[in-house]
Amino acid sequence: MPPLQLVWRNLLKRKTRFVLTTLSLAIAVFLLCVLQSLVVALNAGVKAAAVNRLIVQSKVSLFVYLPQSYGPKIEQVEGVESVMRWNWFGGYYQDPSNFFAQFACDQEKLRAIYPEIEVIDGAWEDFLTDRKACLVGEATANKYGLRVGDNFPIIGALFPKTDGTTWDFRIAAIYKSTKKNVDDATLFFHYKYLEQALESGEGSGPEGVGIFVVQTAPGADNTEVMSRIDALFEQGPQAVQSTTEAEFQAQFVSMIGNVPLFVSSIGGGVMVAILLAALNTMLMAAREQTRDVGVLKALGFGDAVVGNMLLMQSLAMCLTGGLLGIALAVGSEEPMSKMLGTVFPGYEVTQGTLLTAALVVVGIGFLAGIGPALRARSMSVIAALRRTG
Amino acid sequence: MALIQLRKVVKTYTRGGETLRVLDQLDLDMEAGGFYALMGPSGSGKTTLLNLIGGLDRADEGQIVIDGEDIAAMRGPELAEWRAEKVGFVFQGFNLIPVLTAQENVELPLLLTKLSRSQRREHAQTALELVGLGDRRTHRPSQLSGGQEQRVAIARALVSDPMLVLADEPTGDLDRKSADDVLRLLRQLNEQYQKTILMVTHDMAAAQQAKTIVHMDKGRLGSIEQLR
Repeated sequence: MPPLQLVWRNLLKRKTRFVLTTLSLAIAVFLLCVLQSLVVALNAGVKAAAVNRLIVQSKVSLFVYLPQSYGPKIEQVEGVESVMRWNWFGGYYQDPSNFFAQFACDQEKLRAIYPEIEVIDGAWEDFLTDRKACLVGEATANKYGLRVGDNFPIIGALFPKTDGTTWDFRIAAIYKSTKKNVDDATLFFHYKYLEQALESGEGSGPEGVGIFVVQTAPGADNTEVMSRIDALFEQGPQAVQSTTEAEFQAQFVSMIGNVPLFVSSIGGGVMVAILLAALNTMLMAAREQTRDVGVLKALGFGDAVVGNMLLMQSLAMCLTGGLLGIALAVGSEEPMSKMLGTVFPGYEVTQGTLLTAALVVVGIGFLAGIGPALRARSMSVIAALRRTG
Repeated sequence: MALIQLRKVVKTYTRGGETLRVLDQLDLDMEAGGFYALMGPSGSGKTTLLNLIGGLDRADEGQIVIDGEDIAAMRGPELAEWRAEKVGFVFQGFNLIPVLTAQENVELPLLLTKLSRSQRREHAQTALELVGLGDRRTHRPSQLSGGQEQRVAIARALVSDPMLVLADEPTGDLDRKSADDVLRLLRQLNEQYQKTILMVTHDMAAAQQAKTIVHMDKGRLGSIEQLR
């Protein structure tokens, strides 16, 4: 074991360099945690997807609507327990920057198909009975200071009102999801409200159903059910493509590009940059301590002990910066989650993220320290002391 | 039997493609309790000889037997252990660790022993008092004069009670007064504590403090002068 006081004293010998390198490490690790948390948030829906839910969409594109008549037909397919219409509404509150997801759905089926949606304020029954009632996620309610009973006017972008007014909703209940596949920022409302407005000309927009959410019967084979549904509409008028909820979520994420890969690449780049910075610091430190290496060896300290001294310096420096970064990431989780709100719902610094960050920090410490450590280890006493006869 | 026995020791260095024979078939005996000054012109091989005897470097050929052990046959870790136990070094440039206090510098060799922390502290304090720096133990090397630094280095060399103290130009970087203090200390170590001392020096006044002066020239033994 190298003299520990020597490890710390040498680290703190150049205080400015130590502080700057440590802060760089802290910021890099903080960024890594944030980026990793964004990836986790993006993939949360995929991971938490229910196994008994299928999504039926147009084979052409998610943006091509399906005929209303498909619903009852899908319901007759063997292995299907329930079918719910589901339309992306695409509106906003007051200003386009106040964007969050809204969905029109068959409200009487929502609770059974999505048991993870738990009402935490208000009543389901109230949501079910009033045509203009809506169910709002806790994050959105908190963001706009909404309460049960409040009116919540939404401007339709995809489905504008023909007279230019807003769609009026009344908040019947506020929900919180128990799983990550449903975020806490969404607004759900009655499909009939949208349907009737379109039929009466009160609103305009694409006709038909965006997707059908299918709940399969217990014990049903999802693959077979999907094949049956796809086969049912093979001859048109609109061919469909059935997927599991997990596949649908993954496809949805990939529609905005391979964000997880992109974000992970940025994180990787940041880590390589910081590895080079740590390596540079350790190379300078090792050069400054060459004579000390010679002295310690002359006094009888073994090659391994002297080498470990430099490796421990590197690890101590990286762990200091890394732990600071991890503390920053944990400390900022709540404000970050609030800030990212409806854009990245489900932002969470998981234990997995923290473990990854810790392992990366140890890896950087090892890689930055191993070169100088091996050099010190193999250096002869005479060379280190720069004394020749 | 002599404490240090060198037989047919050869050491060569290669520089710029040229092989230099720094020590050439050197035979030398040194007695326990002796105080030897190694003198000679630059390149005569005196520092190389000191490094070989201290186990800091390895001979190409020959035998180096110290206290009955052939250190030329020892390998890395074994040689490091031997150094820690048997040899104390005093260098021209003091070579104290700059981030440690005087006391911590002196304690360093004791980290390789089984002594407890309090025992190490006690030993280091005693060594510092012996060199007259008991009141400077919390000072860093940068807060000490050159003479004081070298006295700390001597305290470090003797704290583990080695049988052999090797000093390479210990007064080379010091003014006369500081040099005299250091030499007085080395002499005290030799006479009072029976440490065998081998000192490389260019300074005749320093060499006069030794009991024996060994003159070297071109890697070979010159004359041996017995002073006391």
